[in-house]
Amino acid sequence: MINSDVIRGHIDTIILKLLGEKDMYGYELSGEIKSRTNNKFDIKEATLYSVLSRLEQRELIASYMGEKSLGRQRRYYRITNLGRAYYKESLNEWRLLNEIMINTLGSDGS
Amino acid sequence: MNKIKSFVTRLLKGMFNDQDKRELIEILTRSLEEKVDDLVEAGTPVQEAIKRSINEFGSSDDVLDAFPDKEKLRSKKIKSRFNKLIFALAAYLIVCALVLFVNYLFIDFFANYWWSGIVAIGALFWPLSMFYAYLKAKR
Repeated sequence: MINSDVIRGHIDTIILKLLGEKDMYGYELSGEIKSRTNNKFDIKEATLYSVLSRLEQRELIASYMGEKSLGRQRRYYRITNLGRAYYKESLNEWRLLNEIMINTLGSDGS
Repeated sequence: MNKIKSFVTRLLKGMFNDQDKRELIEILTRSLEEKVDDLVEAGTPVQEAIKRSINEFGSSDDVLDAFPDKEKLRSKKIKSRFNKLIFALAAYLIVCALVLFVNYLFIDFFANYWWSGIVAIGALFWPLSMFYAYLKAKR
């Protein structure tokens, strides 16, 4: 399980990446993150949904009402063009960080 | 489903300014309700689904984790001012009650003078100043 301080700066990137692949609603996104990271990154739903609200405010993602389930509609999130641009930028940043860490620590840390 | 909304409202008590908070409460509540729906669809009884969703949700610190440090500090400040306000109010009420009681008990000794009223007005500075400090942090 990863320390949440280490990954905090990259949560936005992860969410934008997943929403870039497919529109999702909040809980679906939480399940997707858990399954893709083999439960090593157990993002709290309190954090995830708050990030969604922040990203929506910054217009990096947008939401719309989707299919009905049990009489209630779900709110789906999709990535905006601004979000895609931001994602590319964060990805470059991540690559740079990755490179720095590998160059200094070595690829296996030894 | 009101249980979920009141849980979320309680979780965010004293954090964020009013508009951000309204939006956040709405989003958190809806996402939690969607989770409950999913669990119910998968065969969990409604009450258990609500309980489980609330238990797994996380704390107010987890909510703050979603925000950059600056905003996080601000929210913490608002929360601490809010707590100080509550403390000041409670202390004020206790002091007033005590003074009033002493005044009442020895009213003959004080020549029927209700001086406790003056103390009550004077001591108002404490909760009032805390109230304004809270409003200032919240703005």
